[in-house]
Amino acid sequence: MSERAAAVEIHGVSRHFRTPEGGLYQALADIQLSVRAGSFVSLVGPSGCGKSTLLNIIAGLLAADRGRVEIFGRPLSGINRRAAYMFQQDALLPWKTVTENIALGLELRGVVAGEARARAAEWIERVGLRHFGGSYPFQLSGGMRKRAAMAQVFITDPDILLMDEPFGALDVHTRQRMETEALALWSGTSKTVIFVTHDLEEAIALSDEVVILSAGPGSHVIGRHAIPLARPRNLIDIRTDADFAEIYRALWSSLRQEVLRTRV
Amino acid sequence: MSRRKVLACRILVGAVLIGLWQSGAALGVLDRFFFSRPSDIVGRVWELFARGGVWTHLGVTLAEALLSFAIGGLAGVLGGFLLARRPLLSAVLDPYIRVANSLPRVVLAPIFLLWFGLGIWSKVALGVTVVFFIVFFNTYQGVKDVDPVLLDNVRMLGANERQLTRHVLIPSALGWIFSSLQISLGFAIIAVVVGEYLGSSSGIGYMIAQAEGVFDTTGVFAGMAILAVFVLAAGALMARLERWLLRWKPGPRAGGFVD
Repeated sequence: MSERAAAVEIHGVSRHFRTPEGGLYQALADIQLSVRAGSFVSLVGPSGCGKSTLLNIIAGLLAADRGRVEIFGRPLSGINRRAAYMFQQDALLPWKTVTENIALGLELRGVVAGEARARAAEWIERVGLRHFGGSYPFQLSGGMRKRAAMAQVFITDPDILLMDEPFGALDVHTRQRMETEALALWSGTSKTVIFVTHDLEEAIALSDEVVILSAGPGSHVIGRHAIPLARPRNLIDIRTDADFAEIYRALWSSLRQEVLRTRV
Repeated sequence: MSRRKVLACRILVGAVLIGLWQSGAALGVLDRFFFSRPSDIVGRVWELFARGGVWTHLGVTLAEALLSFAIGGLAGVLGGFLLARRPLLSAVLDPYIRVANSLPRVVLAPIFLLWFGLGIWSKVALGVTVVFFIVFFNTYQGVKDVDPVLLDNVRMLGANERQLTRHVLIPSALGWIFSSLQISLGFAIIAVVVGEYLGSSSGIGYMIAQAEGVFDTTGVFAGMAILAVFVLAAGALMARLERWLLRWKPGPRAGGFVD
């Protein structure tokens, strides 16, 4: 595979939904997108623009009405086995302990229980949840649950990480720490990350490339912007950086119109 | 609300009611022929256990109740799962299930007597018709109620249908199933006792019917008292099992009718 191979290629993907009133809502219209392997790409757009729909199509959880999705050059059908998904909502199984939750991906792949537990224990250390392996999700704080969720997706060593506003529900400080840790876990790997957010600052701070989607209905890609900020990035201070501010101004001017077009 | 205070108040309520009954009988307000007396009832229960004849009846009723609980519960869980996962089948069968569930069970009892005879199986059949529907509807609801995000997450983690059932659907439905089992165990006992009452040669229901036949009010109340203790004990056991199986659920479930 060549160095610049695409991890995900999306050709002319459209998707509509039936509204409760019986009408049709065109969520995505003719999406074209290619995501380079190993890059961190954010999808940004006003709320309701179909970012999550697009992510679910890449995950294989949702089928496109029209168009093609290729994963490392192969057409996608069914669940995307090269990808892991980190959800906005709590998706840990409430009836499993932290260890059991983290080991689950391995167990489902047929790794024997003992080894799965041992590797889960390593990940518990890495995400800073030592002593909480035997706890149930309801006993953890929101930030700790996100750490566990991060270990749950990273342990299967996926080539592609799909993240749907994973830190959206956290308070600002916890969120920044989690972003930092997510970046640390990603950097040095060859994983491709597709990160959905409505927060332009978060997108710029984390990504190699920011893709802006238009407001729905019929959302499509209206801009792709490379983010030339050096890595490793210091997320605590990056927002006060002069280059950051300039990039932010440039991207905001194109996102702004879409936000204003959105009827809330 | 401390546990001790609740317990003390509970005992107080019982003591007041029984005290009123006892003194009512003593003062002649309550006719002993029709209402008996708590002291007589306690004496009778004691006598029944001391003479030992009651054990057989209790054993028969317990066996019938447990059998109908096991058969009806298992069938209800399997049926609930199947229909929740097969929308077409559930749409087709829906009216039939509703009709079957709307039949009054007392009407079925004589038919089961004809079909299965005077022995335990006619009572088990009656119990099954009660337990099955309660467990079935709850299991169905429980499986339908699964958080779709959990399903998506476990699917993305690589689960096939069988693993999805084991890791997500069953544990998620367990809360619903358990609340139905609590209720249905009590109903199973009631159903088999009704069955015994209507026609049998043993069991607590038979005992009560016998006492009633000779206007032995004390005997009837003694049978009811034994039954009540029995239902409470079974409920307490189920509650303990549930607490252990659902230990992942947040917060202490506040006391009410079950704990």
